[in-house]
Amino acid sequence: MKLAQKYNRVNLYTSLIILVLSGAIYYFAIHYILTNKLDNDLKIEEEEILASVHKYHKLPLPSDFKDQKVTYQELKKGESVERNFNNTSYYNSDEKEQEPGRSLVTNIKGGEQDYIVTITKSSLEAEDLIRLIFLITLGVIVLLLISLTVVNRVILSSLWRPFYEMLKQLKAFNLADKDEFSVQHTQIDEFQELNQSVISMSTRVRRDYKELKSFTDNASHEMMTPLAVINSKLDTLIQTEALSDQQGELIEDVYLAVNKLSRLNQSLLLLAKIENNLIKDEEDITFDILVGQKLRQFNELFIANEIEVEKQLETQRLYMSKYLADIMLNNLINNAIRHNLQGGKIKVNLLGGTLSISNTGSAKPLDSHRAFERFYKDSSSEGTGLGLAITSQICNLYNYKLSYSYEAERHMFSIKF
Amino acid sequence: MKILLIEDEEALRDGIITYFTEEGNICETVGDYASALTKINIYSYDCIVLDLTLPDGDGMEILRNLKKLHKNDGVLIISARHSLDDKLSGLNLGADDYLVKPFHLSELKARVSAIVRRKSFDGNNLITFNEINIDTLAMKTTVGQNAISLTKKEYDLLVYFIANQSKVITKSALAEHLWGDEIDLSDHFDFIYTHIKNLRKKLVEVGCNDYIKSMYGVGYKFSS
Repeated sequence: MKLAQKYNRVNLYTSLIILVLSGAIYYFAIHYILTNKLDNDLKIEEEEILASVHKYHKLPLPSDFKDQKVTYQELKKGESVERNFNNTSYYNSDEKEQEPGRSLVTNIKGGEQDYIVTITKSSLEAEDLIRLIFLITLGVIVLLLISLTVVNRVILSSLWRPFYEMLKQLKAFNLADKDEFSVQHTQIDEFQELNQSVISMSTRVRRDYKELKSFTDNASHEMMTPLAVINSKLDTLIQTEALSDQQGELIEDVYLAVNKLSRLNQSLLLLAKIENNLIKDEEDITFDILVGQKLRQFNELFIANEIEVEKQLETQRLYMSKYLADIMLNNLINNAIRHNLQGGKIKVNLLGGTLSISNTGSAKPLDSHRAFERFYKDSSSEGTGLGLAITSQICNLYNYKLSYSYEAERHMFSIKF
Repeated sequence: MKILLIEDEEALRDGIITYFTEEGNICETVGDYASALTKINIYSYDCIVLDLTLPDGDGMEILRNLKKLHKNDGVLIISARHSLDDKLSGLNLGADDYLVKPFHLSELKARVSAIVRRKSFDGNNLITFNEINIDTLAMKTTVGQNAISLTKKEYDLLVYFIANQSKVITKSALAEHLWGDEIDLSDHFDFIYTHIKNLRKKLVEVGCNDYIKSMYGVGYKFSS
């Protein structure tokens, strides 16, 4: 529900309740005042009758003129009637119809005889007045509600325009883009504050992002330099004469560890770069040709491990970074060799928009959920444990679907483009 | 050859100098941007080995300055930044090669030698080691009067060995040089042995001395 709609609804309900309530109070108050006035008129009439009785010692004649009727009724001895006001009907002889009325019934002693005196007045005028007031109130309510709705709608939508403007820009916000937010001028404090906050936030985020990028760079530099030092010192160390065989083996192990560490570092940096979408050199790639090249490149490794390679490549064009395509293929083929058996088989198919690389290997299938996690690897594996994570990130970046399956004693990785 | 090394990490500088100066090369070093500028303004070098990240300036600026001075020094960038952008902008600014840290000193030496060879305009495309002659333009190898035909890998191996003569070269350095770092060869270093065996056989067959010595556990050494 939109804010304006919600606000309008609440606004409407409250004004409706308050207006109805105040209308009711208004009605009762006016009713009470008018009845009171009628009762006063009736009392004045009563006093006039009493005055007349007091002066002439007899009742005046019953009268019936303009909206007022006085009747007498003899009261038997010992009987009495309580003085009271009540609502009755009044017969209007001019108009020949019953009208609502108000009457005062009281006891008056006219000479020796007690009389019940009933003074009745038509309350039609008062009722008319009340009805008129009620209608006016109702009209005001309707008018007020309509104007409230319309005004709210018009004003709110124009008031909220800067907000929606900002929202649109926020939705299109991309860290890597360099455009600043263009701000619509607004006189509303809240929106001004919002605009300022968004701008300062985006500046801050951009700055942090930049810092992160330079941190990535610096981290690489800081770690690579000591590694380079170790490497160069080792290179110098092996030049010294008279290294024993045992020392030679130890040094080789150190070389391997340094090599692995620098690979690990490169892989982590690469992952961070892909995640931050920092590699943007997409181009048209004839993927089948690239796969063919890669297989030739790895040919010696296949031969060294006596691996039989079977390939079936259909033309496939892709729009992606050549650098990442290389890495993706390197990782998959490296894995297929590393986890293969001596004299095993590798099958590379690029058919119907799907690349699948399957290899013979250990009889135990991988955990297909965890295979693409970072540092998930077989305890016997020599790899960094990042190859598949990187491949999976690259596939995510281009919305390719990477999956693993184990069928017919072959581990198969497929990428659906 | 005359080399200028611009590198702020002292330990790395020492390693490189030791490796380069042994065979009579002149190797000067500076550790910061300002003194690097002074040096390139005054002297000319066969090759400048340039670290991009210096404490007081950007190595790219040195490239721009070289260009402004119309110097023809060869430049090899060594950087910890494995970024395509850096590599491309470095090469666009006139650098001849780009090597990512960490690297093997033998690889650095081979690349510097290649740059120096390319930069010499006096037709110096010949590598000579005793009776071995290599014409790098035609990629032809002769031993004495006998031409031998080498595969691409064997040829690369021989050039690499001669550039690093009398040095012990590790198997991983050889593997990385021949196959690049794309292929993770950490499990399979030993199969470069096949190539070395073949190269040795071809050389010895035409009466060349056996210069390749195997250093157990570490690698190989090419020396007379």
